[in-house]
Amino acid sequence: MEQHQNDLVVEMRGITKVYPNGIAANQGVDFSVRRGEIHALMGENGAGKSTLMKMLFGLEQPTEGEIIIKGEKVSLSSPTAAIAHGIGMVHQHFMLVPSLTVAENIVLGMVPKKSGMFIDFKKAIELTKEFAERFNLAVNPIAKVADIPVGMKQKVEILKALIRGAKILILDEPTAVLTTQETAELFRELVHLKEQDYTIIFISHKLNEIKQITDRLTIMRGGKSMGVYETASITEQEISRLMVGRDVILDVQKNQAVPTDVVLRVRNLEYTNEWNKKMLDGVSFDVRKGEILGIAGVEGNGQRELVDMLFDLKEPDAGTASVNGTDLINASQAKIRGLGVSLVPEDRMTYGIADSATIEENLISDRFEEKRFNNGPLFNMKAIRRESDKLIQDYTVLCKSRSQKVKMLSGGNIQKVVVAREFSSDPALIIADQPTRGIDVGATEFIRKKLVDLSRAGTAVLLVSADLNEVMELSDSLIVLYGGKIAAYFEDTSQLDDEMMGEYMLGLKRQSDEEIGRVCHER
Amino acid sequence: MKDRRMFGFELVRGAAAILLALGVGTIFIFLSSDEPLTALRYLLIGPLISIKGSVASFNTQGLYTILAAMIPTIFTGLAVCVMFSSNQFNLAGEGIVMAGGFVAALAGIYIHMNTGWHAVICVLIAAVLGGIIMLVPALLKVKLGASEMVTSLMLNYVCMYVVLHFLNYNFADRSKGSTQTYPFDPTAQIGSMVPGGSKLTWGFVIALVFVVIIALLMYRTRWGYAIRMIGINQAFSKYSGMKVGGTIVLSQVIGGVLSGIGGGIEVLGRYTTFLWKELPGYGWTGVTIAILAKNNPLLVPLAAFFIAYLDKGCQLMATYCDVPSEMIDIIQAAIFLFFAAEQFLSGYRQKIVVKNTRADLAKAAQAAEGGAE
Amino acid sequence: MWSQLLDTILKTEFLFSVIRITAPILFAALGAVIAEKAGVTNIGLEGIMMISALFGVLFSYWTQSWLVGVLGAMFIGVLLGLMMGFFALKLKTDIILAGIAVNMMGAGGTIFLLYMFTGMRGNTGALVSPNILIPTVNIPLIKDIPILGDVLSGHAVLTYVAFLLVWLIWLLLYRTPLGLNIRAVGENANAASSVGVSVLKIKYITIALSGALAGFGGAFMSMYYSQGWNSGMVAGRGFIALAAQAMGRGEPVGAMFSSLLFGLAQALRTKVSGLQGVSSYLVSLIPYVVTILGLVIYAASTIKRVKKIKAAQPEVKA
Repeated sequence: MEQHQNDLVVEMRGITKVYPNGIAANQGVDFSVRRGEIHALMGENGAGKSTLMKMLFGLEQPTEGEIIIKGEKVSLSSPTAAIAHGIGMVHQHFMLVPSLTVAENIVLGMVPKKSGMFIDFKKAIELTKEFAERFNLAVNPIAKVADIPVGMKQKVEILKALIRGAKILILDEPTAVLTTQETAELFRELVHLKEQDYTIIFISHKLNEIKQITDRLTIMRGGKSMGVYETASITEQEISRLMVGRDVILDVQKNQAVPTDVVLRVRNLEYTNEWNKKMLDGVSFDVRKGEILGIAGVEGNGQRELVDMLFDLKEPDAGTASVNGTDLINASQAKIRGLGVSLVPEDRMTYGIADSATIEENLISDRFEEKRFNNGPLFNMKAIRRESDKLIQDYTVLCKSRSQKVKMLSGGNIQKVVVAREFSSDPALIIADQPTRGIDVGATEFIRKKLVDLSRAGTAVLLVSADLNEVMELSDSLIVLYGGKIAAYFEDTSQLDDEMMGEYMLGLKRQSDEEIGRVCHER
Repeated sequence: MKDRRMFGFELVRGAAAILLALGVGTIFIFLSSDEPLTALRYLLIGPLISIKGSVASFNTQGLYTILAAMIPTIFTGLAVCVMFSSNQFNLAGEGIVMAGGFVAALAGIYIHMNTGWHAVICVLIAAVLGGIIMLVPALLKVKLGASEMVTSLMLNYVCMYVVLHFLNYNFADRSKGSTQTYPFDPTAQIGSMVPGGSKLTWGFVIALVFVVIIALLMYRTRWGYAIRMIGINQAFSKYSGMKVGGTIVLSQVIGGVLSGIGGGIEVLGRYTTFLWKELPGYGWTGVTIAILAKNNPLLVPLAAFFIAYLDKGCQLMATYCDVPSEMIDIIQAAIFLFFAAEQFLSGYRQKIVVKNTRADLAKAAQAAEGGAE
Repeated sequence: MWSQLLDTILKTEFLFSVIRITAPILFAALGAVIAEKAGVTNIGLEGIMMISALFGVLFSYWTQSWLVGVLGAMFIGVLLGLMMGFFALKLKTDIILAGIAVNMMGAGGTIFLLYMFTGMRGNTGALVSPNILIPTVNIPLIKDIPILGDVLSGHAVLTYVAFLLVWLIWLLLYRTPLGLNIRAVGENANAASSVGVSVLKIKYITIALSGALAGFGGAFMSMYYSQGWNSGMVAGRGFIALAAQAMGRGEPVGAMFSSLLFGLAQALRTKVSGLQGVSSYLVSLIPYVVTILGLVIYAASTIKRVKKIKAAQPEVKA
C-alpha cells in the first residue's frame, strides 16, 4: 500500500454526511482512487454512493471528514471548484440543452469568440472534433442534441468534462440508459481514456460490467464502506454478498397466507422507453386475494415502468392486465380506482399529496365524490371530519389537527397520510411502490404491519421495493425483476437467503421458464 | 402553534406590503403636490371622515359610495379567485364585465316584464353570456393547450369592439348627444338601498350573498375542492381520479358567470342606459383583489373595500388638491408587487421555519430516545 | 363596396401604412421573443410601452432632441424591465403578476406622472412640435423605384430600426455567446448553471433587453405614430406582441411575419372604416380575432406534430 500513496489522486477520509432531514447518508466512509485506474463504486440504491460522489463534485459538502486531491487538502464548495481541481462528472440525467448543437453544448460557458463578440462556430467545431478524436469519442459536432441517440449524448457529456480539463471522471450509472452495443462502445472508450492516464470512477451495480472493465472496486452498504478490493481477486458471489445483505433483520409477525382467487392478472407486458431501451420484456404474473407478492430487484430493472402501466401513467406496447377480469390498460385513473385499486406511489411528493392543502383535504382526494361525504351539492363536513379524524387516529399521523397543511409534516407522517388514504378505501388490490423509502423507523414499521393486516383480511397486495429487507420479510411469495424480465419466482419467501437473492438480482442466475411460470396461477 | 406563528407572519407581511406601497404613494404625493399633507389627509381619512374647519364628522354618504364601488369588484374579485385557484391565469373578466353589462342593458330595454323578476332575468342573461364567452379560452387551453392568458387578453378586445359595434349600429339612441342606448325599463333597474345619490343598490347585498356562495362552493363542495386540488397539484388530482380537464373548464366558466353578473348588476344599478365606451377596468381590479385576498372568497369584500377606499381617497385628492386620481394605479401596482412577492421578508420567515424545525427535531429526538429505551 | 376596398388596398399608400403600423408591434414582439427565449413571459410589455412612450415625449421636449427622447424611452424600458426582474427573480413575485403590476402603472400611473411633470392631463398635445418627432428618411436609391420606393422609402428612422432589429436579435440569439447562454438558460437552466453560466444574470439581461425593445416601441408610438402621448394609445399592442411571439413560434423572423399580419389587419381597419356601410368596430376586431385564430392554429399544429413524432416511433406509445 505504501508505494501507492503517491499514486492516489483522490482520497476521501472519514466522510460523514448528515442531511438536514436527519438522514445519515454516509458514515465515516474512506474512499480512495489511484491515478489511471477505473474504479467501481458499488452498492444498492440508498447505499450512499451518490451522496459520496456529490461531495466529490462539490454539489454537497461533507458534515465531517476531508477530501484530498493529488495530495492537497481541498474544500469543494461548488461544481466549479471541483472542475478547477480536475474533477468532472457525468450525471445520470444529462445536463444538455436539446435545441443546441453538440458543439454548442460542449463549449457552453466557455465559448470561443471571433471579432470580439460573435461565437466562433468553426473553432467550437474544431475544438469538439479535436477532443473527440483525441479521446476516440465519435460525435457529430453540428447535430442537434435533441436528434442524437442517448449513447452519443453521453459522449457529449464526457467531452464536456474533458474539455474543461477533467483528469478524474465520475460516471453515475452510465450504462443504465444504454443498449448493449452502446455499452460495449462506452467501455472501449473508457479503456482508451484510462490508457491516456485518466482516472475513472464508475458507479454501477451491474456485476458483469464491473468485472469487465474495472481495476478495483469499493462496495458500500447502508452508508458505510464494505471495503476496497482488486476486481480480479474477488468473485461475483462475494461482491453480491457484500453488496446485498441485511444489517438488521426486522421480524415481521405474520400468519401463513391463504391465497384464493386471482385479483391482478398481468400477461406478457412489453414496454420500450423513449430511448429505445426495452424496459419490460414479457412480464406475466398473478396476485391473489390474501397474499403479498413482492417484486424485488435493483432499481431500473423495470419496476417503475410496471407500476406506471398498471396505473395508466404509461401505455404498454403489448400485453394485458386486468383486475378481477376487468381491463386495466385502457382504463383512466378514475376507472382504475373504481375497480378497487389503490396505489402508494413511489414519488409521493408529486403524486401522493397536494402539499399546500390540509391533511383532511389530502385524505379525501379519492373519495370526496362519494355519497356519504355529500349532502346534495354541499359536502357533509361532519362525515368528512369524522373520516379524517378516524384516519389520523388509525394511522397515528402525528399532527396538530386535521387542518394542518401536509407540507408541515415530517416525511414519515406525510407517507402515513398517503397510506391512510390508499389503504382505507377498501381496496381489492394495493400496489405499494417503495412504501417506506426515506421515512423513519416508526412509520416504516407501522406501514409494514398495516400491509400485512390488510392482506390477511383478504386484500391482494403487490409490493415493489428496492429494500431487500422489506421485500423479503413482507412478501408471501416474490418475483425478482432483472433487465425487464422475471428472473426468479419464489413461492415461499421463508426459505430464501440473501446470497441467493443477490445472485438473481444482479443477473448471475436465472430460473427456468417453468419455475418462473408458476407465478401465473391458471385454473 | 407552529401554524399560528406562520399565520402571524403572513399578517405582518401583508401589512408591511401595504405600508410600503402607501409609502411609495406618499413619496409621489410629496413630489407632485404643493400641499402634500392635505392631500395625504384626503387620501387616508377623507373617504370616511369629512373635516369642516376643526370639526371632523363621519361621512355616511362617503361610506355608501365606497360600498357601492365594491359591487362590481367583489364579483370580478371572486371570479379571479375561482380561476386562479385552478392555476389558470385567465384575464378575460374585464371584457366579460362589459359584454355582460351590455346584454343586461339590452334585456332591460327590450324585454318587458312587470315584476321585480325583470332585473333578475337581465342579470341571468349576462351570467349565461359570461359563462359562454369563458368557454373559448377554457376549451382552447384544455383541448389544444393554447395559453389561456393570451387568448383571454385578446378576448377582452373582442368583447369591447363587438359591444361597441352593436351599441353604435343597432341600439344607439340617436336622440342623445353621446352614444348610449335607450333607457332600461324601471323594472329592470336595481334599486338603491339607502337615500342619497350614492348608488349603493341591493346589488351590494347580492354581492355579499355571492361571497358566501362562492366561499361555500370553494370550501364546502366537491367541485370547489377539485378546483383547488387541481390548482395545487394537477398530477396528484389526476392520480386521485379527478376529472382534471372538465374541472379546469368549470372553474373558468364560473369565473365568466361571476364577471357577467358583476357587469349586469353594475350597469343596471349605477346607470339608466348603457353608455360604456371602453373597458371599465373592473376585471383588472379583480386581479388585485384576488391577490390581496389570497384567493380566499371570504376575504374578497375586505380587499374590495380596501381598494375602493383608496380609490375614493385618490379621487378626493384629485378633487380638492392637485394630485391626479390615477395615483391609485401606482399605489395598487406597488401593493400588488410586494404582496405577491414570496420572498418579501423571507429572511424573517426563514427564521420562523428554522425555529419550528429545531423544535420538531428536539421533540423527535426526545421521542426516539424514549422509544429506544 | 368591395371594389372600393380593393382600390384602397392596392394603393402603395396602404402598403406603406401596413409597415408603419407593424413597427411598434414588432418592437414589442421582439421584446417578447427574447424574454421567452430565456423562459420569461413578459406580460408587462403593454405597460412598459405606455410609460416609455410618455417619457419619450418628455425627454424630447426637455432636451428638444428626438434622439434623446428615443434613448430616454429605451432607458426607462430597461429600468422597468429590471424592476420586473428584481421582483420576479429576487423577491419571487410571479412574473405574470409583476407584469400586470407594470401594466397598472402604465394605465393610470402615466397620467399621474404626466401631471406631476408637466401639469397636463390626459395627453401631451402642447409639448409636441415637429422638430422633436422622429424624423422620416428617404432612402436614396430605393425611393426612385416606382412602386417599391413609395412603399419602402420615407418611413421613420425607427421603422427601419424595427426591421433591422429582427436581424440583429436573430444575430444576438444565434451568433453570440450571450444568445447561446440565453437559449440554454431558457431551455435547461440546470445545464447552463452546471457549466458556470449565471442563470440569474442572464435572466436580468434578457428582461432588460426586452424592456429596451418595448421602450423603442413606446417611443415610436408617441413620437411618431400618434405625434404625442395620450392615455389610450398603446391599446393592447403589448398583448398582441405576446400573441405574435407565440404565433411566430418564438423566433424573431416568425414574430416579424405575425406582426406584419397584425399590421395588415389594423391597416385594413383604418382604411375600411372610412368606407360606407362598414362598421369600424367590427373591423377593429380583426387583429384580435386573427390572433386567437393564429394561436388556435399554432396550438393545433403543435399537437399534431407531437402525434406525428409518436406515430413515427411505433414502439413508443402515447
